[in-house]
Amino acid sequence: MEKSNIAKGKERKEVFTTSSGIPIKRIYTPEDVADLDYNRDLGPSGEDPYTRGIYPTMYRGKLWTIRQFGGLNAAEATNDRYKLMYQMGVTGFAIAIDDASLIGFDPDSPEAEGEVGVGGVSVFSLKDMEDMFDGLPIDKISTAVIQAINTTCPHTAMYLALAENRGIDLRDVDGTTEGDPCSFGGCSDLKANPAPVRQLMRLCGDLVEWCAINAPKWHPVSFTSYNYREAGVNAYQEIGGLVASAVDLIEEVLSRDRGLTVDDFVPHYTFHLASHNDFFEEIAKMRAARRMWCKIMTERYDAKDPRTKMLRFHVQTSGSTLTYQQPINNAIRVAYQSLAAALGGVQSLHACSYDEALCIPTEEAVTLSIRTQQILQNESNVTNTIDPLAGSYYVESLTNEVEKRAMDFFHQIEDHGGWTKALELGWLRQQTEKEAIKYEEEIRTGKRRIVGVNCFQMEEDPSKITYFRPDPEIYKKQKARAEKLKEERDNDKVEETLNELRDADDSGENVMPAMMKAVKAYATLEEMTDVTVRRHFASGTKSIFSHLSRMIE
Amino acid sequence: MKSNKSNIVKRKERKEVFTTSSGIPVKRVYTPEDIADLQYDRDLGSPGEEPYVRGIYPTMYRGRLWTIRQFSGLNSAEDTNKRYKYMYQQGITGFSIAFDNATLAGLDPDDEGAEFEIGTGGVNVFSMKDMEEMFDGLPIEKVSTAVIPIMWSTCQTTGMYFAMAEKRGIDLKKLDGTTEGDPLSTASCITNPTASVPFRHAFRLCVDLAEWSAINVPKWHAISFTSYNYREAGVNAYQEIAGLMAAAIAVIEEELHRDRGLGVDDFVPQFTFHLSSHSDFFEEIAKMRAARRMWCKIMTERYNAKDPHSKMLRFHIQTAGSSLTYQQPLNNAIRVAYQILAASLSGAQSMHACSYDEALCIPTEESALLSIRTQQIAQHEINVTNVADPLGGSYFVESLTNEVEKKAWEYLEEIDKHGGFVEAVESGWFRAEVEKAEMKREDEVRSGERDVVGVNCFKMTEEPYKVSFFRRDPQLVEKQRAKLQKLKEERDDREVEKALEELRQVTESGENVMPAVMKALKVYTTIGEISKVWKSIFGPIVPSGLAITM
Amino acid sequence: MERKIRVLTAKLGFDMHNRGMSVVNRALRDGGTEVVYIGNQFPEGIAETALQEDVDVIGISSLNSASSLELMERVMGIIKKKHLEDKLVIFGGIVLPDDVPKLKEMGVNEYFPPGSNVDSIVSYIKENVPQ
Repeated sequence: MEKSNIAKGKERKEVFTTSSGIPIKRIYTPEDVADLDYNRDLGPSGEDPYTRGIYPTMYRGKLWTIRQFGGLNAAEATNDRYKLMYQMGVTGFAIAIDDASLIGFDPDSPEAEGEVGVGGVSVFSLKDMEDMFDGLPIDKISTAVIQAINTTCPHTAMYLALAENRGIDLRDVDGTTEGDPCSFGGCSDLKANPAPVRQLMRLCGDLVEWCAINAPKWHPVSFTSYNYREAGVNAYQEIGGLVASAVDLIEEVLSRDRGLTVDDFVPHYTFHLASHNDFFEEIAKMRAARRMWCKIMTERYDAKDPRTKMLRFHVQTSGSTLTYQQPINNAIRVAYQSLAAALGGVQSLHACSYDEALCIPTEEAVTLSIRTQQILQNESNVTNTIDPLAGSYYVESLTNEVEKRAMDFFHQIEDHGGWTKALELGWLRQQTEKEAIKYEEEIRTGKRRIVGVNCFQMEEDPSKITYFRPDPEIYKKQKARAEKLKEERDNDKVEETLNELRDADDSGENVMPAMMKAVKAYATLEEMTDVTVRRHFASGTKSIFSHLSRMIE
Repeated sequence: MKSNKSNIVKRKERKEVFTTSSGIPVKRVYTPEDIADLQYDRDLGSPGEEPYVRGIYPTMYRGRLWTIRQFSGLNSAEDTNKRYKYMYQQGITGFSIAFDNATLAGLDPDDEGAEFEIGTGGVNVFSMKDMEEMFDGLPIEKVSTAVIPIMWSTCQTTGMYFAMAEKRGIDLKKLDGTTEGDPLSTASCITNPTASVPFRHAFRLCVDLAEWSAINVPKWHAISFTSYNYREAGVNAYQEIAGLMAAAIAVIEEELHRDRGLGVDDFVPQFTFHLSSHSDFFEEIAKMRAARRMWCKIMTERYNAKDPHSKMLRFHIQTAGSSLTYQQPLNNAIRVAYQILAASLSGAQSMHACSYDEALCIPTEESALLSIRTQQIAQHEINVTNVADPLGGSYFVESLTNEVEKKAWEYLEEIDKHGGFVEAVESGWFRAEVEKAEMKREDEVRSGERDVVGVNCFKMTEEPYKVSFFRRDPQLVEKQRAKLQKLKEERDDREVEKALEELRQVTESGENVMPAVMKALKVYTTIGEISKVWKSIFGPIVPSGLAITM
Repeated sequence: MERKIRVLTAKLGFDMHNRGMSVVNRALRDGGTEVVYIGNQFPEGIAETALQEDVDVIGISSLNSASSLELMERVMGIIKKKHLEDKLVIFGGIVLPDDVPKLKEMGVNEYFPPGSNVDSIVSYIKENVPQ
């Protein structure tokens, strides 16, 4: 073959790396995948090791679920928004809950002031759940209940109680509880007292156990690497952490020795990953995560049920890559991240909105997020064939490299005693911070370019976009609502169910049956979390965040 | 490995058949078997090496990013100058002039029919003076420009740009840029008789320009073969690249036929190409990769080219305007983003990203900015520029590249059967092909077989986005007419007449028209005056398409 | 025998985007109307041909939002002058959303934006053509 006589030009940079720092060569050739054994390393989709996707038909059978995370002001406003989104074609809901509720405080609590309606919708009793889903076909469309830390059980119970009250058989209710107790611990600096991590693991385990029997279509836990990815860890750390946290919960459930095997509860696990800005690294990450999970479930747990080995995941595009500057540019970032997720074989997707770096999305911005996904699904033809990038010298090579590094990180976590222990020690937090600082440093020095932030800046913001502003009266309104609820409900019944909940919690029994009763009696979030979470502060168990004060010093 | 047969019931698929946008069947899954015959060195090769499937340069975007070349023009030269300065400030790395319909048709502002065409779709330019104003204060010695005319205006507009550069003291030998004016492209899809020259003559003017600039402006790409236009008018992906090859072959044959001592390696290295990036993500990538391999084969096997530059398909990409929708215009930003990404995964040399409001109007400043930012995000944030041809080796992409190439060869043969591209265009055969393809597409949209968000699915009764629109300067016609008047008062009319007479002579004699065109432009002869000379010699075009009763 | 509906179609001015026009012409023909397509024409030419060809409907297309409204104003002016008001006038292509009411005010009977279902154009003509 004739060698080109064009002089080899100089390159723009000394070293090219992925966003996570993996060095990238100029060109990848068959030599880079010489060791690839198709059947062993890739295989057809729907078969071990699931690198190419978990289902045999993938998007030719069913498109991914367009699941937009949404919540604003109070239940009524959120209901309006959901109806609009449903009309526009979303195929799944995901509830964004406000900070007050996430921590487990009612709007009439002094701690809640300033947190009501922040970042989502205020939901503190079954009543809110009823209003929020009024007129929406929850029997046909699945919902993700996205809460954190303290309210996993009560918020899920509210949703399930709503379904039951509507006459829907719990066995048919489809949805997901995100509530990975480990996720926020890697990143959050919540000012309110968080719960002891062991108790949170126990509550999460209760939900997993109870759902496996009572709501078999419900995914009671979605391991959420999204949160720590957003907080700073890189792509391979993200999936290393994801696998470590899932393994930890498996150990928690198995250690109870209640006769469940991995094949009884792991098929209900789902995962929630980020889609960040390095296009190919993210695709490689999602492919690597599937292979890694399959290997661990096969080799370590000897799983038999294929569903135990399949990594089913939701993707949220990366909020942290969005910029406050020139916000409409974010629409483009989201478009690329959504495409990466589609090429990574995702099961459901939230596309962020272009104004999300500034406010809760406006209707206009949400419309574009939904349309972004619909354009991908209906116009780009990327859904025509499964895992279209398989075989690419670069993508296969990068998938191997990401997996190798993720395995290393997973082993490092194991060396620190597993995910929960590594959290308690503050080690994970340190890793997160280290990476976050590195990332910021790269932006500061210009090594990592962010359009509108460290290059192509503008003095005047060119976009004429409208912003969402929360209802200024929200705190007052929700406070009044809480007071009214407490007047109208049967308070004796509430007290009775809360006592039952306390007994279950003390005895180590599963708290869920009592929780369902309390929710149906309109016990509030704060009342329930007082029992299941805040009481435990006194026990002297270490909080997830106990290391924070040390780090801040 | 123990293949664990999944016990999941094989789900039914959503459709009976899955195909690309061009109708190529797509299998559920591609495996190593689909590319079992692929020989790396023969079929792909490394970037910068034959057959250039993986890119024409060894370093690709690690060496130099693609040029952000935004096609733009609005109102007058002054307004366009402002827009260019704004875009330059925002980081574009190449200019591209969008002329209005009056200029494209070779009309002056006071010519019959020009009135309502001034400022439609671009900037009104009628003399070198406009070119001077348009590029005032812009570093054209550093930033290259694409001049995008058609037919009647190719030589004049390009000549104006050359003359303006010379006046600024720039050595024409160093001037970098492109003229698009591929007459085959526009002839294949234009029905407007006023805008088109009898085809043979248009073709001659185009080759005159190519010949003259090969010697005088050697860095200038005097012709950019533009499949974009017929792709937009309807043909599919493989027909697009087959047409592209056929058009380039036609020009090579015309030049070789003149027997002026030039070999392919003397003029083909200046050729550039202008393709579309349409909405089928992988098919477009496959198309661009296949086009490079095809071109290399043609130049090697058919023309025995020696200079690697003759064999390298250098191309500009414009995202598909026809894929944009009038409805829910902001959705177009997303379509454009995907089309830009497809082009960047395919190794394009320069790109124009359409603006989200382009289905409605000339882009506003706001929408033009997002087009630039879209390209910058693709270049700087998502790391797709780290590696050359990142999809190389993919079972699906390689397989589709082969298939698109195979179909393109077949279609090229079909064009050859119709006498080559010139004959196929003149006879109306290619035009009919374009229409046929468009009808098919339309039927698919109508039947719902092809989804277009906001058009045949996810429609809304109320427009969701608050976007602002560009409106043409209402005083523009008066202003341009006054400007023309002033120009005619200030210039030396005797010089103009002399130049026009010389132009008449060389045009009639068959000599290269460019020296005379340059002379005329330098004394501020207008575009309309030059066109009139040509129209009087070439005669009016047969008004085919008039009053056809169907 | 019933006379076929005669439709004059034209591209307005120099606008070269004709893929939509081709599609509409075919749909009209398939829908049983007689189509007289005159390619690119200025307002005078359109009105002149409409008179000569004795058409029932005038269908005009342009994708130039910069000039379409002004040109249509001229078309409608000539139509009034030549007493062709009995003809159904429809416009397809781009008029900025804010300007659509103006199009109706000047007497254009119906507007079809890009992406309109071509069948809806045919049925509109059949339902509204003057008897």
